[in-house]
Amino acid sequence: MTIAVVEGWIEEPLRQFVDEARVLLALLLHPSGQVLAQHGFTRAVDVMSACALAAAIHASSGELGRQLDGRPFGALHHAGRERQIFLAPAATPRGPLVCLAVFDEATSLGLVQLYFAELRARLASAAPAEREERPVLAGNFEFELNRNLAVLFGRA
Amino acid sequence: MSAPRSPFAETLGSLIRQRGVLGSMVVSESDGIVVDSNLQIGVRGPAVAALAASLYRKARLSARAAGYGDCAFLQLEAAQGRVCAVGRGDLVLVAVAEPRANVGLIRVEMLRAVEALA
Repeated sequence: MTIAVVEGWIEEPLRQFVDEARVLLALLLHPSGQVLAQHGFTRAVDVMSACALAAAIHASSGELGRQLDGRPFGALHHAGRERQIFLAPAATPRGPLVCLAVFDEATSLGLVQLYFAELRARLASAAPAEREERPVLAGNFEFELNRNLAVLFGRA
Repeated sequence: MSAPRSPFAETLGSLIRQRGVLGSMVVSESDGIVVDSNLQIGVRGPAVAALAASLYRKARLSARAAGYGDCAFLQLEAAQGRVCAVGRGDLVLVAVAEPRANVGLIRVEMLRAVEALA
């Protein structure tokens, strides 16, 4: 199993999640779309696209929840014919993260939900206490995005 | 206005009344999600449902792969209790019970109840 991370404290929680939930692909990202860890992707461009789309979906569903329910919706599940996606936020001392998981019939939504709850707890306890105070969309967003992708795919 | 009664309420109620049964659930086999449940306090319904549905599915596929047909009844004996499951279509009826529970009675009740799942 190949897990690539930008920050080391994420690796073990994500590894356990992928191992137990049997998901095909997994991404952890900032709500801004900056990738922090990935499993299952082989190309940087796919990670970049998936992060951008996941961040957009998360932002849209969050705003829809605020409009309809006064607060952001939680997890989102979308079932395709063969593959399904699960998108959910995880609060950590380093700020909110978003997890995108893609799975097939080898597992189930219930199992993904179950092990995501454990991932969320592990991330919350593993995250370093200090938090970097930075704007959500920093001026050097693209530079950081490219740097993170380079770290994940061994080009740093 | 009261909430509409689930079509599985009676089935689950008859199971939970068995001595030693701590919880009964109707679970989607493919999703591992609880469709309806009747649980005592302390039973982790969604977690048990997801894992039991996965276990039942694998047992069903194993039985079929071995050429033995469908899985009729699944019973897992653990150190401090039992998990029983029986399926029909995409639904699985799951019961969680204490070791002192009468598995024979639970089995009869579940096999009778599973007919209502169809």
